[in-house]
Amino acid sequence: MTATTTARPALVTEGRTRRRAPARDFRTTRWGWAYSAPAVLIFSAFVIVPTGYTFYVSLWKWNALNPAMSVYRGLGNYQRLFDATQPTFLSSLWHSLYFSAAMVIGGTALSLALALLLQRGGALLNASRVALFLPHATPMIATSMIWVWIFNPRFGLADWMLHTLHLPTSQWLQSSTSAMPAVIVYSLWHEVGFTTVVFLGGLAVLPNELSEAARMDGCSAWQEFWHITWHQLRPVTVFVVAITAITSLQAFTQFYQLSDGGPVYATTTLSYLVYQEAFVLSDTGYGAALAVVLFAVTVFFTLVRRRTAAGADSALA
Amino acid sequence: MSTSSSRGIRSVTGAGRAGRIARRVLALLIGAAFVFPFYWTVVISLGRPGEFSDFPPVLLPHWDWSNWSRAWHAAPWVRLFANTVLIASCTVLLCLATSLLAGFAFGVLRFRGRKFLTLLVLSVLMMPGTVLIIPDYVLASDLHLLNTYWIQIIPWGASVFGIFLVRQFFLAIPQEILDAAALDGASRLRVLWSIGIPMVRPALVIIAVNVFLGSWNSFLWPVIMTSSSMDSSSTVQPVEVGLSTFASAEGTDFPGLAAAVTFTTLPVMAFFLVLQRQFIRGALSAAGGVRG
Repeated sequence: MTATTTARPALVTEGRTRRRAPARDFRTTRWGWAYSAPAVLIFSAFVIVPTGYTFYVSLWKWNALNPAMSVYRGLGNYQRLFDATQPTFLSSLWHSLYFSAAMVIGGTALSLALALLLQRGGALLNASRVALFLPHATPMIATSMIWVWIFNPRFGLADWMLHTLHLPTSQWLQSSTSAMPAVIVYSLWHEVGFTTVVFLGGLAVLPNELSEAARMDGCSAWQEFWHITWHQLRPVTVFVVAITAITSLQAFTQFYQLSDGGPVYATTTLSYLVYQEAFVLSDTGYGAALAVVLFAVTVFFTLVRRRTAAGADSALA
Repeated sequence: MSTSSSRGIRSVTGAGRAGRIARRVLALLIGAAFVFPFYWTVVISLGRPGEFSDFPPVLLPHWDWSNWSRAWHAAPWVRLFANTVLIASCTVLLCLATSLLAGFAFGVLRFRGRKFLTLLVLSVLMMPGTVLIIPDYVLASDLHLLNTYWIQIIPWGASVFGIFLVRQFFLAIPQEILDAAALDGASRLRVLWSIGIPMVRPALVIIAVNVFLGSWNSFLWPVIMTSSSMDSSSTVQPVEVGLSTFASAEGTDFPGLAAAVTFTTLPVMAFFLVLQRQFIRGALSAAGGVRG
């Protein structure tokens, strides 16, 4: 108190330094890491360390009941990947890539088309948007059960519609050639609502000037879309492709409830095989080796995306 | 001027209006097609026995509620629902706390190791759940956490999406606001609590609804973590796992299963419909994040 009254001339500069110092102190702190510690601890315990542990388990003939009884196999589990016993690793890898490619191409094209249809609409178009999003918000296990009936070749809605339209009907989930397309149809129904809304978000923030100029110059709607809108949407498209690829590689529930990996392993993807080997056949070590391959595939796609996106998603990073 | 002329081009021709109507009709049809599977399930659940296998399919309900009461009494649904609500609510609370703290650390604070920790958290996105299920099962088994609520809550108590959403909101706040509060002598936690939380509230709402729904809808994790003991497993199992068990036990009772699907899905659907704005805002913000 007394110090400030006596040192009057220095008050201005002193005030300024006193203003600055606590502000810098506020942001700079040795204890910053402690604020992120709860999240980092959870991720370390259940994600980061276990990923490394998967590699470790994959080197053993793991005994789930008594890990001390496990037998070291080295790379034996990885050599087994190329065994011919059904279902083979290579066929399940192929099924994963088939499913993911169909979801990425079909899902992206479909949700972009739906977003263009629903953009800048009134109440009715907004209601359709909610309807589209609804399957994504409801549990996969329950909706898969519904689709088992829809795909039923005897009384299902799918064949009834094809029948009414005089189109050839399908065995859907009951034939090994049409089972995967059926799971893809279900998954598109479940997923496109989300990606459509992501595209709508991208469309909503596009600047209008270019499109208006193009229209004034007599561009057709298609030309306007192809040359301007689609080009401007590129970062959003990259995001949709990436997120669809990763969720499709991981997809499990629909293969579990809808098709059970069959018929004749036709829908046994890598994710489903990991579960099957580790938890149904109790070959934890081999399941872990498959999981390591799945991890490598996921990392590969993430890195490829990084390179092609070239900073488009730097905001997320 | 430019707007009025461009509007003029569109509405001069009758084709513009016909196009608008066609667009609405198409949107309505597609929307109806997406909802129709839910409607058909309700129809089957209220149908007469054996009717579900008619061809062509029955498209109007007969209001026969016996399937509902049969399905309702076949499993401890109340307990299963309570488990799901408990697990989802606790996961949301934990997630909000961890996202808020870490988002604050990465968005506001400056400290050694910040870059490293940010990258570490981001790397989590590359590690898919299917890869983690084996080691996490081994871990849970070692720690005697199988068939507990804990193993269904804690591993999901942090979200990369949540952390980066909060961080984005903090980055958008003018620096002076937080600095001014600090100037008044408030501690960092105090500033976070009384100034930070109100300013990032929209992010917290988006995180809460998405984590709640994600927890409710999850299946692989709870089925692996709660199915190993035969005796008391249903006491901590969530409703979706219960539904799956019910389906494999009563697989041939289609109308009963349709009733179970309906009454287990209705609460999620209501939750979504009431809060749909928040979900759509969350998906929109995903796109916004891409654009930076």
